[in-house]
Amino acid sequence: MINRERRQQFLDLMADSGWDVLLVYGHSWRKDFFRSLVNFNFFGPHALATLDRSGEISILVSHPWDGEIIRANNEADVHYLRDFRNGLSKLRSYFKTAKLAIAGMELMEAGFVEGHEVSATNRVEALRRVKTSEEIEYLRKASLLADIGYQHFVDTIEVGMAEYELVAEVEGFLKAHGAEDNFMLIGSGGTEVFGMRPPTERQFRKGDNVTTELSPQVNGYYAQICRTLVLGEPSENQKRSFSIFREAQQAAEQFLKPGVNISDVARVQNDVFRREGFGEYTGSKYTRVRGHNLGLHPDENPYVLEDVDCVVNKDMVLIAHPNTYLPLSGYMVFGDTLAVTADGCVRLGQTEKKLFVKEV
Amino acid sequence: MKRGLITWDKNEIPPRVFDLRLQSIRSEMSKKDIPALVVYSELWRSNQARFLSNFMPYFNRAFLIIPSEQPMTLLCGLSPRVYGWIRSVTTIEDVRPAGNFARTLSQLAAERGWRRVGFLDFDQFPWDLYQAILAEPLNAVPVRSTELRDSSPLFADGTELSMRRLAAKMARNILNDAMPSGPGQIDYEFTGGLERQFRRAGVEDLIILVTNGSSVPAPANGQTLGEHFSVSLAVEYRGHWIRISRAHGFEGSVQRLLEPGSAAWFENLGGSYPYEMTDRGDLQSGSIFAVHTEDRAGDKRVFYGDTCRYGESGPEVL
Repeated sequence: MINRERRQQFLDLMADSGWDVLLVYGHSWRKDFFRSLVNFNFFGPHALATLDRSGEISILVSHPWDGEIIRANNEADVHYLRDFRNGLSKLRSYFKTAKLAIAGMELMEAGFVEGHEVSATNRVEALRRVKTSEEIEYLRKASLLADIGYQHFVDTIEVGMAEYELVAEVEGFLKAHGAEDNFMLIGSGGTEVFGMRPPTERQFRKGDNVTTELSPQVNGYYAQICRTLVLGEPSENQKRSFSIFREAQQAAEQFLKPGVNISDVARVQNDVFRREGFGEYTGSKYTRVRGHNLGLHPDENPYVLEDVDCVVNKDMVLIAHPNTYLPLSGYMVFGDTLAVTADGCVRLGQTEKKLFVKEV
Repeated sequence: MKRGLITWDKNEIPPRVFDLRLQSIRSEMSKKDIPALVVYSELWRSNQARFLSNFMPYFNRAFLIIPSEQPMTLLCGLSPRVYGWIRSVTTIEDVRPAGNFARTLSQLAAERGWRRVGFLDFDQFPWDLYQAILAEPLNAVPVRSTELRDSSPLFADGTELSMRRLAAKMARNILNDAMPSGPGQIDYEFTGGLERQFRRAGVEDLIILVTNGSSVPAPANGQTLGEHFSVSLAVEYRGHWIRISRAHGFEGSVQRLLEPGSAAWFENLGGSYPYEMTDRGDLQSGSIFAVHTEDRAGDKRVFYGDTCRYGESGPEVL
């Protein structure tokens, strides 16, 4: 449950920064900072761990069931308090005049922050960006779940089925195969579709472009896959559109290696669209990002954008996905989880790189 | 995580219900001389904004702004590409992008001439937004949701109750059907089956905990379920959360849990979070809460619980 490699990194960071105690906070949506040290999928709304310079860890949770499970599974000192704010005050009082830093401070309720702490968020995030070998194994398992999850998506979809029914089938399948959770968006239709969102009651029709982003989670770590499927024979425009996305993603995959800048990972993807006369569709009006880091949060920094300055390091795990709207076919998606190696990158998943077609 | 059907069924919640809710909150704003009230919303804390507008972000954060005399405005971290979808499932027409929430809000306040702006449960806003708001000339006024509830039925009106009853009934039915098949299944397979059924029934969010009787309920971990396994669920249907716990082969009684002096866990389901621990003594008329208890079946721990309301004549199961 304790990530010992991270704990040592955090201790080194504390020594380097002059912090006496590091607090890592998580709430139900952003458990990632907490789980980077104490990898437990807590149920209550809040959890926090303190790490002092001796390496001792104390944990505060807001639901008694979390307290019992953590207590039974690790050597840390565990406290449950119904009033989390009060619990935080008590925890702080142990450290009196110590210099406290909080990772995840920005996410905390304002009433939880006393004002004398400093934010450790960016520096801890930078450490988390590079994965340990154990973390990469979890991401590999999550990628393989994404593979079989997407195959189930392809096998299950049919004309007349509602988007939310398909999502129910995929969610159930992923959970049954051991996914802790899954972040999933979907879109369906033609050139009137400008993005993905949660599923609606819309029923699939022949000729639809069906886009999805699957992000199964294994032991806290999210991998991601983006694919587009056409119901029926794809049109020439759908084929041409996909060939642009495939080339753009491939350009990122070929370019990605230690030492390159993330801005250039975005640029090589966008250049493919520019060359094909679709440069305007690489901006924020039509797309959000050209990829992002992955880990304990499904949308980690850095975002792959041309104005983001971040050097790529070995063992970063990210997705390159040139997802955007094109007038040829509407919104289209394509992307894979990539682990940066010593001299390039490898795909963690194995799903075929193609425009999927379901006969109807 | 929210990835189920997010929709607005106007037969379930007619537009006039939202009108009445807004009237109620505007009446309170008037008493406090607040020309605009800001309600924070995010993926996991969407109850209040959902109650007032049916809006729930599936990602990112948002400010729901309720002016006293103009239509609501949503400042939204989501892309304008999904604003059409937002309008289709909410009562909101005016949706605006906000990279910098505090600055965009401040500009809107200046345009509209708001001399002060109320913030619902301000000390629960995320620290970064709280600091950014204080740095703007907004004359921020904290407004506690509990103050509003004392003088109006906010967050617990008849529609709210009937929707929670519907969600609780759905959960009981699905669990009643599923529990007999549990023993012998790997817990992942069992929870996967529940996930599929609940999502197909239109559930937006679902958290499933299980135990074989040697601990409290926890996330599935690959164990084979035995004869005395228990399941504890948090279910969100159309923005309405309920909690329920059941054990295989065990008949519990919520009424018994509600008797004074019984040992039980109480969770508040009426706050900004889906569920938070509370004390029995903190429950008051109108409170929506869950109660769970632990019993024994041989050497196994079994769990039972349900969603309740503290009515005028005492607690009742929804």
